[in-house]
Amino acid sequence: MNTINFEVNGKKVTLTVPDNMRLLDILRDELGLMGTKEGCGIGECGACTVIMNKEAVNSCLVLATHLQDAKIETIENLDKDKILSLLKEAFLDHGAIQCGFCTPGMLMSAKALLDKNPNPTIDEIKTDLEGNLCRCTGYIPIIQSIQAVIKKGV
Amino acid sequence: MGKSIGTKVRRIDGMQKATGKAIYGDDITLPGMLNAAVRYVDIAAGKITNLDISKAEKMPGVRAIASYSDIIGSPRIGLVRQDHLPIIDDEIRYHGDVVAVVAAASKIEAQAAADAIEISYQSYEPITDPQEAVKPTTRLIHPEYNSNIVVHYPLIKGDADKALSESEHVIERTYNTGFVEHAYIEPETVTAAPDHTTGGVQIYGSIQNQYTTRKMVASFMGLNLNQVNVMPSNLGGSFGGKDDIANCMACRTALLTKMTSKPVKLTYNRENSIRESYKRHPYIMKYKVGFRPDGKIKAMGIDILADSGAYGALTFFVNWRSVVQATGPYEIEHVRTDIKGVYTNNCYTSAFRGFGSPQIVFAQESLMDEIASLCNISPLEIRRINGYRQDSITASGQKLHKHTVSLQQVIDEAVAKSSYHDIRSEYKQKNESSKRYKYGIGLACSFRGCSLGAEGTDFSSAIVSVQADSSVIVFVGVNENGQGLRTSLSLIAADALGINLGDIVFLEPQTSTIADGGPTVASRGTMVGGNAVLDAAQQIKSNIFSVIKDELQVTKLEETIWSDGKICKAKSKNEFISFKAAVQKTYAAGVNLSAYGWFKGPKVNWEETTGQGDAYFTYVYGCQIAQVKVDTYTGKIEVEKVTAAHDVGKVINRLGAEGQIFGGVTQGIGYGVLEDLNTQAGVIKSKNLDEYLIPTIKDVPHIEAILVENPDKYGPYGAKSLGEPPIELTAAAINNAYAFACGKFNYRIPLTLEQVQLGKNLRKPERQSAEKQAHNKRKSPYLADITTSKPKKLSAALDILADEKHKILAGGTDILVTARHVQTSLQLVDISSLPELKGITENEDELIISAGETFSRIVSNSRIKKIFPLLVEACKKIGSLQIRNRATIGGNIVNAAPCADSVPPLIAYDAKVKLVSSTKERIIPLATFIEHGYKTGIKKNELLTEIIIPKLRTENIYHSYYQLGRRNSMSITRMSVSIILIFDDKDIITSARLVDGAMFSRPQRIYDVEDKLLGNKLTDNLILAIEKPLSDKIESEIGGRWSAVYKKPVFISLCQEALLDILRQRKEDK
Repeated sequence: MNTINFEVNGKKVTLTVPDNMRLLDILRDELGLMGTKEGCGIGECGACTVIMNKEAVNSCLVLATHLQDAKIETIENLDKDKILSLLKEAFLDHGAIQCGFCTPGMLMSAKALLDKNPNPTIDEIKTDLEGNLCRCTGYIPIIQSIQAVIKKGV
Repeated sequence: MGKSIGTKVRRIDGMQKATGKAIYGDDITLPGMLNAAVRYVDIAAGKITNLDISKAEKMPGVRAIASYSDIIGSPRIGLVRQDHLPIIDDEIRYHGDVVAVVAAASKIEAQAAADAIEISYQSYEPITDPQEAVKPTTRLIHPEYNSNIVVHYPLIKGDADKALSESEHVIERTYNTGFVEHAYIEPETVTAAPDHTTGGVQIYGSIQNQYTTRKMVASFMGLNLNQVNVMPSNLGGSFGGKDDIANCMACRTALLTKMTSKPVKLTYNRENSIRESYKRHPYIMKYKVGFRPDGKIKAMGIDILADSGAYGALTFFVNWRSVVQATGPYEIEHVRTDIKGVYTNNCYTSAFRGFGSPQIVFAQESLMDEIASLCNISPLEIRRINGYRQDSITASGQKLHKHTVSLQQVIDEAVAKSSYHDIRSEYKQKNESSKRYKYGIGLACSFRGCSLGAEGTDFSSAIVSVQADSSVIVFVGVNENGQGLRTSLSLIAADALGINLGDIVFLEPQTSTIADGGPTVASRGTMVGGNAVLDAAQQIKSNIFSVIKDELQVTKLEETIWSDGKICKAKSKNEFISFKAAVQKTYAAGVNLSAYGWFKGPKVNWEETTGQGDAYFTYVYGCQIAQVKVDTYTGKIEVEKVTAAHDVGKVINRLGAEGQIFGGVTQGIGYGVLEDLNTQAGVIKSKNLDEYLIPTIKDVPHIEAILVENPDKYGPYGAKSLGEPPIELTAAAINNAYAFACGKFNYRIPLTLEQVQLGKNLRKPERQSAEKQAHNKRKSPYLADITTSKPKKLSAALDILADEKHKILAGGTDILVTARHVQTSLQLVDISSLPELKGITENEDELIISAGETFSRIVSNSRIKKIFPLLVEACKKIGSLQIRNRATIGGNIVNAAPCADSVPPLIAYDAKVKLVSSTKERIIPLATFIEHGYKTGIKKNELLTEIIIPKLRTENIYHSYYQLGRRNSMSITRMSVSIILIFDDKDIITSARLVDGAMFSRPQRIYDVEDKLLGNKLTDNLILAIEKPLSDKIESEIGGRWSAVYKKPVFISLCQEALLDILRQRKEDK
């Protein structure tokens, strides 16, 4: 067991969990934050993407021990987060959501990108989102959404 | 018709999905819920001789284990043929058969117990070739039926054999397609719960066809249909794939629920999903075509063998659609088609978007281009000569006259929009001078029958319920798969009633609430669901009308217009009553404001023995044009653009319609180029999404979507089908583009690197690697017994490592993947926060990267970019950004995967590594530290702390790097080449370093080639001359290996190309 102190969406959390618990399981099963999804378990699909210490990571490959003093942001922070809210509106306007399963991870990757670089090129958008698989939309409306947010100004 | 129909509208379920609040199957938690896990068989064919659950039963957390003897109702399910056992008896038919299901308190406990179930077997040789399976002497996969042939559909029009014998020209070609995995991002999940009201069960989860699921569960559990309520959750993608497998999972969880009296959830990981879930049918298609020299086709004889795998499932319907459409949209006087679906011990096959069309479209469209080439006419001309027109007669004898036959129109639109003619000329010219890359443009067209056709009973249901405050609830019997059905049907309801979309709430269908609406398949959702909604809306309008007609002074409903929240007189629009007021009056009058809508598809028919009849009540037409760039050195195909023109009848939601095209084309690119499901002896080797490759964001080109509208008399507002047409054309268009580019025809998809270069795929021969031997005990993939410790200082970490039992955890991106297969307990030392392992420093002679630095920090470090560009270029290719944010250079090196990307450049740069234990320190060259794949010289008590790279202090230094992967991101390196050349001021090469990646047993400097280069000027001739020493080296190192026939010529080309790149750089500098 591991007692960890970390922060989720600005709130301090202290948990005692088994060593083999992944951040993905901690979010979903311990904290009831179901927005982050499991698609593959091996860091290939990005459905589990959250932001950890300002970087997009696959929460299926982060263990409890990694979380000490970490700052985690998830999709549940959307209403409080300016960039996520802008992205959400753009996603809805451009048809970037179909089944929606990749959406939370996609939005977190997009947010991490725009936080780092408010004016990325299309190649930079694709590079930062290459770890998020989508089977429904063909990615085109997702790219258009991000470009719309950039154009509007973050 | 109102103004919303056809515009871009936000989907009504978008907000909940964007915010992460939408409930998918695995998000469901019910009080007292247990978690389940399945125990698969260990072989692909055979008999179980002993099943022992005694050990498993005693394991912690276990509440129940269900096996065959616990089944209450009928153990066999299936929509057409009941040959499928959700829990098998003793007969094993494929590697995904389930022999028992465990319910335990936690998922891990259930998995551990499932793994502890012991099974003894008598193996059979698995039958995996349909051509073997179809022979009457072959072992019966299902001895209870007297043939391995699941279904046979014939079609006879005219006299094909005679016509073929009389044809001026005859061509015979065979086309092959393989297994394809749906790869929806959400793995399957089903939850069952006891329903004390009915004495039955409630079922939730990722279920596409809730009425089928209900029927199967009722039968399996011995319940009535009214005792099983299926409530599908939000589907994280389906594409036809969450049908049979969801039914099996529902049966298993229902049984466990009965046994435990608790809710039971069964959620699959990706490995379960790929292993067990059904796939697209592989087809072997033999076409024999008789034609005139001018390109007019006179006769076709078509024989198709479909691999149905272990179970029949929906092979009956998939194969039927193929028999109807196998000729393609061409009017041919004489046709004979025979399609047979056969059992094998492969994974079973069933519905997947397209449903028997992508295979035949690939075959028939490739064939058309080949015939055109033989006749010396263009691909457009042959389609103009043979393509359907108004009143054409299909192969099944159906006259196409009840709808607009828009085949030529969609072709013309796609041709115009893509500048087909100009591009064709441009590419022809380009290909004459371009050596390495060849450019191609190709087209494919199709016709597709809408909805179920004669294969099924086509009806659908809807409930529209207007509330007293005029807000509206809509329920339909068809299902939101993610495609936007909720929005489209709500738009139709809003438009019919003349109200805002925002006034409508679309509720999830539950099987107990609304009558069977048929499955959400065959791209029928909008058409039949929409018509049912219109029917309900019409009834409500009549009812409301009966109350307000006197007030408005009208006598017939047709005299009113319902729009913008008002019901006005058509003749005098300023005389109106608001919808809200009308509803209030209707409610007050006690008149019914709800209605049950019904739609039954128009009559269709089919004669079984001749394959003649009006197969579908209407058809859609599509044309796609693909532009590709083929790398003739490696076989990599880049799809650069796809133009897609589809006749949809009428667009209901424009965003939704375009989305279907973008998504369908992307799946089509996967089908045509990337998605190669490796299965051998019935065992699927492409176990997860690292091996089964679907398109990433970097693999999708510009897609031009053209929506053509020829309203259909049967569809709501004239709307027809769009879900499937976009996927069926792309692979064919790509294949034709490839033929144009390379001047040769290809008969098998996907067009993998090897398929392009060798005309076939290579398969690794069965043998156990050292890793596999070490972890031989079979285990479900999950993180089991792991303990972690997190020392605060390096010295403390080294002390822990001194006892040699611990493994190192840094970023976790390698070890947490392999640890899922480890049975024994793992003790991990978390070094990810050790300050001593962080930092990038330099002194006069060296740059030092601490082992704990992540790749994202390395690739963005300006000093490393400047001094060691090869390292940055290579590391950018590692995984994805999420991986690079966590993965460390130390971990990459020590893991020593043969494809580890940081290693070859570091060897080229002569890097050294520092290894530290609690007692000593040593520094050795990286080139010797790496011994071979997955093996380094590290001792169990050592930690790699630094990578030390000597600075190359010279001018006239040139680098070239190339990495070959199968797709454009998240690609395991197939091979790489790293080259550094230093020249003197007389252009002589004074230093040459050439390192392979993923070629030899470990990345190494290829001295034989370097020696050839040293002391010479870099010229075209010198570059040609390296072939001999390189070829000899490759031959001696990996000559006998299975992959050499592909890798050798490719690696030689890539090395030469990298040197040419340096030559070009030097020319530019001058």
